[in-house]
Amino acid sequence: MTDGPLIVQSDKTLLLEVGHPGADACRKDIAPFAELERAPEHVHTYRVTPLALWNARAAGHDAEQVVDALLKHSRYPVPHALLVDVADTMARYGRLRLEKHPEHGLVLMSSDRSVLEEVLRAKKVKGMIGARLGDDAVLVHPSERGALKQALLKLGWPAEDRAGYVDGEAHAIDLAEDGWELRPYQREAADAFWHGGSGVVVLPCGSGKTVVGAAAMARAQATTLILVTNTVSAHQWKQELIKRTSLTEDEIGEYTGAKKEIRPVTIATYQIMTTRRKGAYAHLELFDARDWGLVLYDEVHLLPAPIFRMTADLQARRRLGLTATLVREDDREGDVFSLIGPKRYDAPWKDMEAQGWIAPADCVEVRVTLTDAERLAYATAEPEERYRFCATTATKTRLVEALVKRHAGEQTLVIGQYIDQLDELGALLDAPVIKGETRVKERERLFAAFRSGELNVLVVSKVANFSIDLPEATVAVQVSGAYGSRQEEAQRLGRLLRPKASGQGARFYAVVSRDTLDQDYAAHRQRFLAEQGYAYRIVDADVVLSGGEL
Amino acid sequence: MESFADWLRARDDDALRALLSARPELVTPVPADLAALAARAATPAAISRALDRLDRFTLATLEAVLVLPGTDLATALAAPPERVAEAVATLTENALVWGDQGPRAAPGVRQAVPHPAGLGPPIAEAFAGYPPARLADLVADLTGEEQNGFPDAGRLLARLAELLADPGPLVEDAGPEARAALERLVWGPPSGRVSDARRPVRVDTAATPIERLLARGLLAAEDDRTVTLPREIALHLRGGRLFAEPCDAPPPLPAPGEPRPDRVASAAAGEAFTAVRLVEELLERWSLAPVPVLRSGGLAVRDLRAAATLLDVEDWRAALLAETALAAGLLTRSGDLDGEWVPTPAYDLWLLRDVAGRWVELARGWLRTDRVPGLAGERDDRDRLINALSEAVVRGGAADLRRSALAVLAGAPPGTSADADAVRARLAWLRPRWYAGRGGVFRDRMAGWTLREAAALGVTGFGEPSPFGRALLAGEDPEPLLEPLLPEPVDRILIQADLTAVAPGPLVAELARELALAADVESTGGATVYRFTPASVRRALDAGRTAAELTELLGRHATGPLPQPLTYLIEDVARRHGQLRVGSVASYVRTDAAATLDEILADRRAAGLRLFRLAPTVLASALPRTELLDALRDLGLAPVAEHPGGEVIVTRPDAHRAEPPPSAEIVRLRPGTADTAMIDAAVRALRAGDEAARYAAPAGEPPRSPAMATVERLRGAVERGRRVWIGYLDQQGQSSSRIVEPVRVDGGFLTGYDATRAAVHRFALHRITGVTELDEG
Repeated sequence: MTDGPLIVQSDKTLLLEVGHPGADACRKDIAPFAELERAPEHVHTYRVTPLALWNARAAGHDAEQVVDALLKHSRYPVPHALLVDVADTMARYGRLRLEKHPEHGLVLMSSDRSVLEEVLRAKKVKGMIGARLGDDAVLVHPSERGALKQALLKLGWPAEDRAGYVDGEAHAIDLAEDGWELRPYQREAADAFWHGGSGVVVLPCGSGKTVVGAAAMARAQATTLILVTNTVSAHQWKQELIKRTSLTEDEIGEYTGAKKEIRPVTIATYQIMTTRRKGAYAHLELFDARDWGLVLYDEVHLLPAPIFRMTADLQARRRLGLTATLVREDDREGDVFSLIGPKRYDAPWKDMEAQGWIAPADCVEVRVTLTDAERLAYATAEPEERYRFCATTATKTRLVEALVKRHAGEQTLVIGQYIDQLDELGALLDAPVIKGETRVKERERLFAAFRSGELNVLVVSKVANFSIDLPEATVAVQVSGAYGSRQEEAQRLGRLLRPKASGQGARFYAVVSRDTLDQDYAAHRQRFLAEQGYAYRIVDADVVLSGGEL
Repeated sequence: MESFADWLRARDDDALRALLSARPELVTPVPADLAALAARAATPAAISRALDRLDRFTLATLEAVLVLPGTDLATALAAPPERVAEAVATLTENALVWGDQGPRAAPGVRQAVPHPAGLGPPIAEAFAGYPPARLADLVADLTGEEQNGFPDAGRLLARLAELLADPGPLVEDAGPEARAALERLVWGPPSGRVSDARRPVRVDTAATPIERLLARGLLAAEDDRTVTLPREIALHLRGGRLFAEPCDAPPPLPAPGEPRPDRVASAAAGEAFTAVRLVEELLERWSLAPVPVLRSGGLAVRDLRAAATLLDVEDWRAALLAETALAAGLLTRSGDLDGEWVPTPAYDLWLLRDVAGRWVELARGWLRTDRVPGLAGERDDRDRLINALSEAVVRGGAADLRRSALAVLAGAPPGTSADADAVRARLAWLRPRWYAGRGGVFRDRMAGWTLREAAALGVTGFGEPSPFGRALLAGEDPEPLLEPLLPEPVDRILIQADLTAVAPGPLVAELARELALAADVESTGGATVYRFTPASVRRALDAGRTAAELTELLGRHATGPLPQPLTYLIEDVARRHGQLRVGSVASYVRTDAAATLDEILADRRAAGLRLFRLAPTVLASALPRTELLDALRDLGLAPVAEHPGGEVIVTRPDAHRAEPPPSAEIVRLRPGTADTAMIDAAVRALRAGDEAARYAAPAGEPPRSPAMATVERLRGAVERGRRVWIGYLDQQGQSSSRIVEPVRVDGGFLTGYDATRAAVHRFALHRITGVTELDEG
């Protein structure tokens, strides 16, 4: 029995004791085939899933390495069944390969005839394949390349896509490293992607994913289609690309609700791509408007279902997904794997923070106690109104005011779910409110003012959740959130994690009503952050109101 | 000429011991003397069992002895002489061959092997059924001269054998097609089917290849539709070899890889640890919520599935764990009419042992059981579902088969990872007759199940027996080998801000219990991950822990300070815990006059009424309403009864236990395990019986005499003090002969000293088949 830092559980989770001297070496060995699930202070939990094992296979690791890593670092004997299962699962990847045949074009090849027979008999696969070419190969309709990969993954025989990519229309793009340079991990991420062909890069919020995208474009030297979550984000991509690359404003087009430009680099929103007119997607032709050499997906974990379907038809083009987490609330991780590609690079938040690439954050949950009258009102509220009621109580409003006052002079964001509450807070704090109905122009003006320090306090609704670059926000106060979305919490914290000019840490407050649904939902949301190592401290509202030390 | 029995008698005691150890069925029951032993050894049943134990090569050697007595066996078998000598020694030890001048087949062996080495009958036998006229024609065709005179079958057969002694030219003469037809029969089976086999054919008129062969005596017609290749012809065609393939070496196992004993031990210990943990988890669940025994006696499929879900394992593994617990005596059915599966008291003792000790009990139970867990979920011959824990999974000899399969693994060099097919091939070589016999399909599957189960229990790791698995198979104590591989119990836990606690190893029992109360188990394995939730903390508070106790306990065992969210959680739950109180009472007293209640409580006579005050105007009592009414009336009050409101009855689940039926504890004496003391005794008894028989018993049948004469002769013998030889039918109807010194004859019994048994016995007179008085001295 060794005294390793790793404990292997029977449900295929791996527990890594962080304080152990061998923890770092162990982390390096297991990271390729296990997804980090939770990273609280003492014991990190990794999970070995089929997808994670296939990611490892795609990255060139074999079962022997995985088994060795487990046995080498494990403190206790590892059940044999688990090792066998790991080996079996890994052996499933690559038995089937998509290749480009010099005469026949796209073919599905197999080194294992019985596997090929098995998948060819599956009903789902029937329509996607053509004539049989000998015992070990079968013709594949080029249009079904993506759909076939999806179907094969569902059958448990993920195919290795070695059919290559079209080069696309060449376009000169270079990084303009004037006064800044690519961080080591950004370079590694871009390289890893390029060598893999297609795939996903996982980096925490605030770590400069846009730059990774720019670096990938510089490697591709080709026209690029970028899909982002919303219009504001599209603007920011554009500005960032102008700043970081040799691209000029004229070379970058925006394809949004307002503008329909198609340029060598075109940025489109998910929304416009999924807009339907008379039942058909109105903007599908964008994908064929140019011979794109690279398709880039921002925030892959939010990719809507229709985009997956469109992506299935783009399998001949290089695809890069960027995201902070592979966890999807809708469990479509498998589609990300088969349609965009395996994970090519990731780095845990805490490591980035330790290296100073993202700002340290201090999370504080402030518990307010409802007055008796509020409690009674809460108790008698209609079930569907209860959360709204406890999330928007007057007691909370008073506390937010106290917190903002305490941090007067610091760049402060107040984030909430309910517009009424935000309007009320805006009035009380004398701060502008950004919500869904705020025009894009106005939003950008306010953000610019906030960034320049003209404005200290900004009240925002969930429209600000994603991809909004607020480099100098140091304090965020969350008054209400969408029920229990783990993702939202991470995104909101992400707003604060970009490194500050002052080097100062960020402070994230969540104001929660004690003994109500609000507390339950908050617990669910915070669990994700606690699992990422951002432990909440809890303080009582009285401490805040009385001006005590926080 | 020396007989088989004489040869046996001449063997020394060690040889007899070896024989009886190898064929233990010969001594159950112990035969009267060596002649009886020889007779028993020659019965078809005994021969068959002995042949079932032989490996392919030894069997081939025996066949060679049958076919080619007195020739050079090594050449015939194309095997090294020392291997042949070894095989002959084994056969001699088993008394399947005998004789001092070259091995001869023991009586009964020839009948048990109808086609030795795939050969047909010798010429003399093959043509024995031919009419003399046909024989005469055959001889005439072969010699080219007509036979004169009256045909004598015996002479003609001998002549035919002579003529066919060198069949080479005859085969050439029959032509290449005929030779091809012969080739098909050469290596057996020696018979083929043709139409009208008995047609009279002559060399001149033979048209087809078969006819050409029949006309030359190279094939013999066995009946109308069957032709047989006579033994001598086949041997000639085989070119001196008896078997097509040499079979002196067992089929090879896969080539061993690089031996990695650490990995084997580690993987197996992991499984062993998991198996013990899962059995405990399953039995804990069943002790709180026992599952019903089916009417057919077994576990319902639904309950098996539920167990598999609970343990997060496949169905077969759940069945294996339950069956193993049963085999180890930890699980039984409670005695009720509608029985339930519950742990035995032995389970509580098992729980007190450390993990290695627990594993040994489980593994031994699995190894020796004749129950076959792999059958659970299969269908039987009549297409009925076989339930786990039912009697339908019992297969005689399963334990034997399991051991044989494991022995193959244990015998392989380190680094060998044998799969089920390799083990099957090896078993089929080691005991070919037995393996291919009745139930062969089951045996094939059993080999696969055995490997699967051995891996699941940690007897093997990476297809190789683990060090402690080897000890188990060798009958040694595996515990010291397993123990150092297992996680040691720890008493520290890591508590984290995400409200989880990790126990980095098995916890000491007390802490494990407390933690299981206060937190939910999230994952298990080498470590246990617990999650604190409001519900779990409430559970601990419900069980009587206070918030302070909980915080103190966790603080004492945690490696660092308790994370703040956890202390908040405990306080939050504790603050609201017990704000409302719910209880149940048997009856109550209510009134508008609070003073009356003061009065009752102050009254000494009311002390026994177990009253307590819920509110100024309400008393509650644990007494039933009628009793309380009577008691209050005795105090001189005038209460009236009221209809009760709703009552809540809180019950706690109780852990169930039941004694296993005594049958579970009976250890069956299996062949192969006859111990040396027994064998020694048997040899002594045989020698004594032999002595007695030689001393007095005349050869031949036991005496027979009419019933009345029997009694008379016995009485006479008692008077004269003479020994008698009696024929006796035992209770099973087996006849035996005994030498008895009669003491008295009364009450329908003969009482006397039985010299063959060396004990005083009572013999029922009606079972005595005959009496002969023996001569003195």
